[in-house]
Amino acid sequence: MMSRSQNQIFRLKDIALIVLIFAIGIGFSVYVVNFPQDKIVERFMSYEKIIRSILQHLSIVVISSMLAIATSVPLGLILTRPKYKKFAKTVLGVVNIGQTIPSLAIVALFVGLLGIGTRTAILALWIYSLLPILNNTLVGILSVEPSIIEAAKGMGMLPKRILFKIEIPLAMPIIIAGIRTAVTINIGTAIFAAFVGGGGLGDLIISGNNVNRWQILVLGASLPALMALLSDIIFGAIERKTTI
Amino acid sequence: MIVFEQVIKKYNNQDKAAVDNLDLHIQKGEICMLVGPSGCGKTTTMKMINKLIKATSGKIYIDGMDIDQVDPINLRLDIGYVIQDTGLFPHMTIADNIATVPKEKGWSRNKIRNRVDELLELMDLDPEIYRDKKPKDLSGGQKQRVGVARALAADPPVMLMDEPFGALDPITRGKLQDEFLRIQEKIGKTIVFVTHDIDEALKMGDKIVVMRDGRVVQFGSPNEILSNPADEFVSELIGGNSNLKMMNLMKCKDIMRLIPNVDSRESSKAALKIANEHDVKNLLVTDHGQKLLGYVSYGSLASNDTVVSNLIKEIGETVTPKTTLQDVLSKMFSLGKKTVFVSGTKGTVEGIVTMDDLLKAVKDDEQISESDI
Repeated sequence: MMSRSQNQIFRLKDIALIVLIFAIGIGFSVYVVNFPQDKIVERFMSYEKIIRSILQHLSIVVISSMLAIATSVPLGLILTRPKYKKFAKTVLGVVNIGQTIPSLAIVALFVGLLGIGTRTAILALWIYSLLPILNNTLVGILSVEPSIIEAAKGMGMLPKRILFKIEIPLAMPIIIAGIRTAVTINIGTAIFAAFVGGGGLGDLIISGNNVNRWQILVLGASLPALMALLSDIIFGAIERKTTI
Repeated sequence: MIVFEQVIKKYNNQDKAAVDNLDLHIQKGEICMLVGPSGCGKTTTMKMINKLIKATSGKIYIDGMDIDQVDPINLRLDIGYVIQDTGLFPHMTIADNIATVPKEKGWSRNKIRNRVDELLELMDLDPEIYRDKKPKDLSGGQKQRVGVARALAADPPVMLMDEPFGALDPITRGKLQDEFLRIQEKIGKTIVFVTHDIDEALKMGDKIVVMRDGRVVQFGSPNEILSNPADEFVSELIGGNSNLKMMNLMKCKDIMRLIPNVDSRESSKAALKIANEHDVKNLLVTDHGQKLLGYVSYGSLASNDTVVSNLIKEIGETVTPKTTLQDVLSKMFSLGKKTVFVSGTKGTVEGIVTMDDLLKAVKDDEQISESDI
């Protein structure tokens, strides 16, 4: 019984929550489309529009997060090598300052540089999610017991093998936790993409606000929230799975 | 096997050398204990052998080969390494942990699996049970057994052990020490063993290197160190009770005396004759020269004129040839007797040890130091 529950990625509780999240999301969408408040909502809302917004939102989040993982994890690994360790603090400091700038400001800043569009939104989110992943990669690798590394070294393992066979697997739960934070933040921040013409669920919020219809507004706000919850559950499960 | 020639290690920020002009010869198949207080350079000395620490100057040879000429990775693959915190990889199974070096060396899967099982059995861990467990499922003693098994995996001729039993409770430590000595009898590795515990050094070592401030204070066998400490520092390190400690180094088989048999149907006079011939105080009594019935003492034979079978006394608790003299002494105290029989295999009696024998054994070794005074 024990071993079985350990082998499964999702706990029963997770599965129940995931079902609930989908039920609320789909239920609310169906309600808004089929029982619109009035003609304006009816004209604005369709399944097609909702799905398009969700997919846009998702692609912005996925692409920016992937870019962040692809830069932060290798950078973190390089910065933990003996040769570059001395730069770790500086780099972390710079990225840390980046994190203190409000997300909307970063998005706005990138409009100045790249104009409006999805690309701008993705790049802004990429920059914004670098820190949690980089930070956790550094912390994860540096928190591996020195005695473990010493044993590996003393037995004649190559540095490269120590990194891939020992350090990364042991740091994985912490790295995943960083990705979890980054993705969850990204899902919320991706709403701002709509302000720079990047689309996504922020579109619904802006529309709802413009036409002053609560149904559209609430749907636009609740879907990202549900997505954030969902990603949190999924990454939480992966994090547990990689924890020894 | 391992030779240090004028080896010096200086750390960047220190004037004093951590290891100062060290010359050392470690023989093949020996356990060489490096002992001393923390900061004496013992760990640094050990780690220079597998180049985890690079010597500032001087030469180190393993089997006649200058280690400067060997790639550190290849060097380390042929040197077993055990550390205090075990350094087991927590995300890997016990089998994968033990297979670390064989995998680095590119052994075949089958060969690795067989070797892992063989080592687990050697360490008294059932492969069926422990192979797929993770280190966190094991007790401290079991973990260190796995640590030793991992170091032995590719059968390296040399092993470095850095306070391997230091973090264990005294009972487990004693047990693992005994086990390890038993295994070493079979495998005969050249072992460099770092410890700060002089008792461990005396118990485990064929040779002991006492170090202080990066220098060798004394190099010798446990007996030499105990009976002839080089200076105050060494005597202090040994502490009191050096006689008792000496008794801990000697085994029953070193001093026990054989005792003749007498048939239970013989008369006490005949038995006395045998005792006198062999100059012993006790005789074993057997039934038709076969089954062991007990023993008779010289006193009871001399004062009673009867058949031996009437005077038989029970042998009672025995010790084994491998029992240390210290344990023999404590056995005598607990039994309230001045003699203890040494049992052989399968219920036979191999010999006898008396209080006088114990005194003589310690005194013989004492004479060296007494003559110095």
